[in-house]
Amino acid sequence: MTLTVGLGFKLEHFDDASMCRAQGLWFEVHAENYMVDGGPRLAALGALRDRHPISLHGVGLSIASDTAPDAEHLRRLSALVRRVEPIAVSDHLAWQKWDGVHHSDFLPFPRTRQALDRVVDNVGRVQDALGRPMLVENPSLYVDLPGHEMSEIEFLSELAKRSGCGLLVDVNNVFVSASNIGINAAMCIDGFPADAVGEIHLAGHSPDPDIASNLLIDSHDAPVADEVWRLYRRLIARVGPRPTLIERDDHIPPFDTLMLERDRAHAILVDADRARAPVHV
Amino acid sequence: MSEATHPQPVSQSELARFQQAFGAALAGQGATPVAGGSALARALAIHRNTSAKAAQDALAANYPVVRALFGDDAFSACAGAFVSAEPPREPRLNAYGAGFPAFLQDYAPAAELSYASDVAALERLHVEALFAADATSLDGAALGAALDPDAVLRLHPATRFTAFSSPAVSIWLAHRDGDEAALGEIVWRPEAVLVTRPGLDVRVERINAPAVAFLSACASGQTLGVAATAAAEAGSDLPTMFAMLITAGAFA
Repeated sequence: MTLTVGLGFKLEHFDDASMCRAQGLWFEVHAENYMVDGGPRLAALGALRDRHPISLHGVGLSIASDTAPDAEHLRRLSALVRRVEPIAVSDHLAWQKWDGVHHSDFLPFPRTRQALDRVVDNVGRVQDALGRPMLVENPSLYVDLPGHEMSEIEFLSELAKRSGCGLLVDVNNVFVSASNIGINAAMCIDGFPADAVGEIHLAGHSPDPDIASNLLIDSHDAPVADEVWRLYRRLIARVGPRPTLIERDDHIPPFDTLMLERDRAHAILVDADRARAPVHV
Repeated sequence: MSEATHPQPVSQSELARFQQAFGAALAGQGATPVAGGSALARALAIHRNTSAKAAQDALAANYPVVRALFGDDAFSACAGAFVSAEPPREPRLNAYGAGFPAFLQDYAPAAELSYASDVAALERLHVEALFAADATSLDGAALGAALDPDAVLRLHPATRFTAFSSPAVSIWLAHRDGDEAALGEIVWRPEAVLVTRPGLDVRVERINAPAVAFLSACASGQTLGVAATAAAEAGSDLPTMFAMLITAGAFA
């Protein structure tokens, strides 16, 4: 097991991140933040990349749009992939483009056979442009839309089978979606096809009392919740160790505090690896 | 499963119709045309909120001094109005808000802050310089060797300059430095700014009218001779101006 647990990279943590020598550490960045011509941000990513493996996590491909991925955006992503040579490239099972507007959120859609065809086609276009498979992440859901023809797990499993993409299991999103929609989170976690799981995300969530006290928001502004840790152990016990990310995008604590959460997940992966002995490390 | 059993979707598919209705509802255009009742209305509110917050946060990050001039609450109201009027058109939010300086010119609640639009224009140049392509700045020795009046000086990709009718540069510099004394001593007069990025750090400085004349001539592809004449006619002390521009890393 080479890669274990990574952290979402924050520029303010550059010095600590560069120097850190923790076993199996890697970093993930939002691809869109580095789609620039030059300057200090790209230079920092280049310097970090010389010391640690990097994963590019997209928040803008809009692969569930009923249109092909934006050619200019794909060109920029391809250029960044060539520059960074990331360990993984991922984005979300969601759409964001509408009438020329880009919504910086992951919008839901009815999971129909026809939508599956479209997403398979879009993921194929991305993979063709990048010359490598991508990972697709389950987003947080806030409503059980009418018109679904299949569950999220069935949809993602079919997508992986037909497009050749891998899956990024966001355990926090599974918990948030299950809580908001009223389904069993453990059953969802148990449904992800083990062979397709290429990466796992762990993050914190919060209620939004201004909108509805019983809804959870995928806010990335808090430590990973106990229920999410339990689901994570359950997933790892079934599928084995997989590269895992601690995501934090708001109320960002010092690097050392994030490393404590990171080390907790690392210990879970190391234990799982030992349980699967004999292992050639 | 055979791909042949799943023909490519046609344009007005059910997915397209759903996204049309959902997108319109998100934009607040009419009633919610997607079935789903109050749970859907709550989900729409969450998505609207998340999307708008991301855009407003990006605007605040790109316009820190305008935010300081307004105060947090007034800036939030202004950012909300701007995001509604000119929502992001692409996923790179670090480039969001190009239209904000022009928006501020007509933003009635800030009419007494007549210089806010100029300060925003300066902050936009700062963002452009931050993300511009890398290039090695022309140093003094290289310039000396190139002092052919027929040569054309190329601006560094990060170099930006403009003239304002307000003291926007002094206001911006005083805010950046947290210099209360400087803020109190600002004299109302037109100012011009030069934004450069020698190495990786963005520099912002006041420049005079001859320097603007010189840089304008260079930017439009005029020869060094023509640019120097323009600067001299505007009253330049050429050696001092060259030294300043070279130190700033204005050329590549």
